[in-house]
Amino acid sequence: MLKRIILLVLVASFWGCKDSQNGQTIPVDDFFRTFDKAYYHISPDGKSLSYLRFQDKKLDLFVENLATGNSVQLTHLTEKTISFHFWTSNNELIYYTEDESKDRRSDIFVINKDGSKQVQLSANEKTRLRVIEDQLIDDKYIIVASNKRDSTVFDVYRLNVRNGQMDIAAKNPGNITEWMTDHKGVLKIAVASDGVNETLMYRENENQSFQPVVTNNFETTLQPVAFSEQEPNVLYAISNVNRDKNALVTLDLKSGKEKRVLFANDTLNVVEARYSRAQKKMLFVTCETWKKQKYYLDDSSRDIYSKIDQLLPGSEWKIMDKDKLENVFVIRTFTDKNPGSYYLYTASENKLRKLADINSSIKEEMMSDMRPISFRSSDSLTINGYLTLPKNKKATNLPVVVIPHNGPGGRNSWGYNAEVQFLASRGYAILQVNYRGSTGYGKSFYAAGFKQWSDKIQEDVNDGVRWLVEQKIANPKKIAIYGNGFGGYIALNCLYKNSDLYSCGGSNSGVINLFSYLKTIPPFLKSNLQMYYEIVGNPITDTDYMRFASPVFHADRFKTPLFIAQNPKDPRVNVAEGVQFIKELKKRNVPVTYVEKEEGPNPVLRQQGRTALYKALEDFLKTNLSKK
Amino acid sequence: MALDKKSGYRKNFSLGVTFIILISILFILSLFLAFNYSKKSIENEFVSEKVNVLEQSIKAYNDFFQNKMPEISYYNGFLDSATAAKFVDTVSIKYPFVSKVTFYDTEVKNIPVKDGMNVGNLSIGPKSIFQFGKTVASDSVKLFSEFDTRSFKVGDDFNAMAYKLVTFVDQLDTASVPTQEELFTNFSVVKSNKITYLNIPRREDLKIYKDMMRRKLDPLPVYQQDMLVFQLDPNKIKVINTRPLLYQKIEVEPLTYDPIDTSDENMTTEIALPGAFSDFKLYFTSSKSYIKREIFIYFMPIALVLLLVYGVLLLVAFLIYRNLNINSKMFKLQYDFVNNLTHEFKTPVSVIKIAGNNIKSATSLSQKEQQLYGKILDEEADKLNGLMNKLLAFTQIENKAIKLNQEQVNIEDFIESTIESHTLKHPDFKITYEVVGFKSFITDPVLLGSLFDNLAENAYKYSKPANKKLHISAKLIKGVLVFRFADKGIGIPSSELNNIFKKFFRIQNEYNQMGSVGLGLAFCKELVNFMQGEISVKSKVGNGTEFKIVLPYNH
Repeated sequence: MLKRIILLVLVASFWGCKDSQNGQTIPVDDFFRTFDKAYYHISPDGKSLSYLRFQDKKLDLFVENLATGNSVQLTHLTEKTISFHFWTSNNELIYYTEDESKDRRSDIFVINKDGSKQVQLSANEKTRLRVIEDQLIDDKYIIVASNKRDSTVFDVYRLNVRNGQMDIAAKNPGNITEWMTDHKGVLKIAVASDGVNETLMYRENENQSFQPVVTNNFETTLQPVAFSEQEPNVLYAISNVNRDKNALVTLDLKSGKEKRVLFANDTLNVVEARYSRAQKKMLFVTCETWKKQKYYLDDSSRDIYSKIDQLLPGSEWKIMDKDKLENVFVIRTFTDKNPGSYYLYTASENKLRKLADINSSIKEEMMSDMRPISFRSSDSLTINGYLTLPKNKKATNLPVVVIPHNGPGGRNSWGYNAEVQFLASRGYAILQVNYRGSTGYGKSFYAAGFKQWSDKIQEDVNDGVRWLVEQKIANPKKIAIYGNGFGGYIALNCLYKNSDLYSCGGSNSGVINLFSYLKTIPPFLKSNLQMYYEIVGNPITDTDYMRFASPVFHADRFKTPLFIAQNPKDPRVNVAEGVQFIKELKKRNVPVTYVEKEEGPNPVLRQQGRTALYKALEDFLKTNLSKK
Repeated sequence: MALDKKSGYRKNFSLGVTFIILISILFILSLFLAFNYSKKSIENEFVSEKVNVLEQSIKAYNDFFQNKMPEISYYNGFLDSATAAKFVDTVSIKYPFVSKVTFYDTEVKNIPVKDGMNVGNLSIGPKSIFQFGKTVASDSVKLFSEFDTRSFKVGDDFNAMAYKLVTFVDQLDTASVPTQEELFTNFSVVKSNKITYLNIPRREDLKIYKDMMRRKLDPLPVYQQDMLVFQLDPNKIKVINTRPLLYQKIEVEPLTYDPIDTSDENMTTEIALPGAFSDFKLYFTSSKSYIKREIFIYFMPIALVLLLVYGVLLLVAFLIYRNLNINSKMFKLQYDFVNNLTHEFKTPVSVIKIAGNNIKSATSLSQKEQQLYGKILDEEADKLNGLMNKLLAFTQIENKAIKLNQEQVNIEDFIESTIESHTLKHPDFKITYEVVGFKSFITDPVLLGSLFDNLAENAYKYSKPANKKLHISAKLIKGVLVFRFADKGIGIPSSELNNIFKKFFRIQNEYNQMGSVGLGLAFCKELVNFMQGEISVKSKVGNGTEFKIVLPYNH
């Protein structure tokens, strides 16, 4: 009965959406719709394609025979949902399911690609599992990390896919955050962290113990990519040790020294490097400036992969999966105006086949361009960002919504952003600022944001707004600021400290108190706490600063209308504190729009919650930005 | 006649008096009621307004309790002595009733503590204790630390709160979200003059506390909690007297305060303070005279309105009385006129009747007798005729029923003939005259004669026998004729001057007991009006009267 009602509501809202689409207003939900089919994986022989597909609001596993085009549904799940799956051989897949309960009870299954034989490897485990190496070793083992022994640490196990037996391969003393195997599945690398410093540890074989190779501060990146197969004890890694930007280097695991630099550039930051196990070499690196771009490391790689560039002009693309011979690829594309699609690319035939759209309701011609911008901060730092202007409007005197991104770290990247496109479609120019402390602009830029949350970071955002006003694009009287998490934190601080710049704004699940933010770092991330103290501030030694920098202590200084959304069941947020904050604001006659959002795992409820949230945000901006 | 008069006036008068008495009684009664009402409502206000005083006075406490105190939770256990001291500073400036604050820097852990509370595996104990406040000496700020436990005993305040926390954690339903209110009540202890507040941990932390109670966790967790005990001084509450005119004195007194010497001079009321001050009350005192002033202030406008109504009523009554009075005077004048007229007519009629009777009863009439009776009859008939003419003429003139005869009149001849006819009638009447500026003019001689006769007659009538003199002057001044008739008579009181030209008016005195109708001057006025002139009078009692007639000069 209830389902029928929900269905009716959905149908009704669908028709409602259709009507308004004629009136040029794209319904909120259209921006946020997600795929029906995704998580494509290709079998090692490249002959079968597995994927997950929504079936009655549940994901189920399907396998398509690429030669015949026939699909078989392998699972019919009711309680649990599939978290991930992968091929272990040409005929077998493993899938991992979790339920929605607090304990996240999980099961692991092995299933034949035609669904004929299924083995349950574990049932209702209260543990979490990560796959380190999905290649079968000795035709029966895969390497996984699990917190089975201690919920706060992940040990490495050999999982026997025949009987589900798990043998411990390496015990985590508590400080190992990352594990890595070589091409044969031998666990050779462990990354230890004491919260501030990261140590890369190496062993030559499983009988030895891990030896520290090199130790770096958390500001420094040293990201293992792959072992070199030509040279022993050599690792390909993305590194910015002794340089500002990330480069692709080889590292001698014995001495800890850099051996060779494969790709380095003073202005380019490497974010991804692609290794080919088939060709046993590095193929290309991806660098991100305002947009991600591929730099091929040799001509043969260029010959092969630039063909995909030509088939997908203007799009960013990424290899999601490949077969063992690296002939059949699953490729994901996107642009700023389109969340993109999945393609199947066969290199031997240079043929592209579209598998599915991420969001088929997005019409590219109705979306807005996301333009890179840059400006100088008041202390002469170059700050980059993006500006999305509403379609069919003159770029002068526009109402602006500033959306500072979440943090700490992170950045805004070029690509489809549902929230941005939604607000742009409502006639607002959207300013996104990669303030100092954002990643991707080098080590020093990242470090410049430490303990500056309430100072220079906020000023960078303000400088962006001032720049936009100078360009005459923004209407200085119609500027709102809104953000999520730390973005919301920046927004709130800007609203009460720079009320001359912003006429309204708000936060969504925003950090309103740095003390409680630091309290929320979960127990198994305790080693990270020191790092957070460094980035955000130390509540024990810098109590006064933390108080000064937390909006919750300054309810008496807010004047502008506020929009505050939070999930009352959010375990990461001290909800009582948020409610107390809002109460105090209301007592001081600050107009507050408070939205309690639903963020359960139930997709229907989640969608309703999201629709309500963005409707409320739309109304809030409309009333407070169109007033003057 | 006198009886009629009495019954005519007395009735009106008593009615008026009754009316005035009645409305006066009503006025006094309403004043009395209004006063009583004012008194009652002020007395009621005295009792009811205290709620407002309480509300205003306790505002700061509520603000402290609902807004400032929860700020401790914002620190999430990160408060240290320096920050706590700053926090207390801002608190004691803004909320003067907070006299002392004890800060327990508390730890919740799995290791049993010596000072504090151990329940299951959960232990709550202070790491260090500080006290802050204006009265705290700087060397006694730190009371307790784990290394120096002798100087202070962890007291009841701490244990009460710790017990509450333990109970809450023990009964915590980890599946549901506790409400804001639930949390607030469980993390604060409100006692007399003392509030203990423990920062509210996150839900996740509470779950871990619950877990810690049952078993030892690995690694052994240590959680920071901040407990603050606020010592409150109710005497430092800033009492805000919202009605300073109503309450002479408002004091914070213990709940049991009930002074024996409450004399009748004072009115008192009280209201209990809420929350941590519940052992105290606001005690309101006002002396009776103080209250009276407030009553008076309340009563004044009502009394003024009543007075206004009363005044208007009196005015209306007076106006009605005046109209009635004038009407009754008119009535009396007409009555008198009829009386006089009857009398006037009676004399000649009775003389004629006597003469007639004498003639009838006499067997023979001598020549002399016949002459006498003839003369009498003739004269009395003339008199009657004159009276009737006068009455008729007056009515005619008043109704403008006659026409003016325009004839050339020689003024000197005219005055002389008038003088002649009057001195003939009254040999003791001495009339002089003067004419200046003209000889003759055009007018109606009959009307002018009547005017002159009447004025001369009046002058004779209202003069003492030895002083019957009249001076007539006729002058042409600035194109108009001015006639003055000045006598040396008894004069007219100035209060009556306005009335003498009214119909049937006669001044009551011995000179006009008979033979006067009270028409004379009214008739004169009508005549002058008819001749398009004006008449006025000047008089001084005892010295004489002067009538002035202004007529248009036609020639």
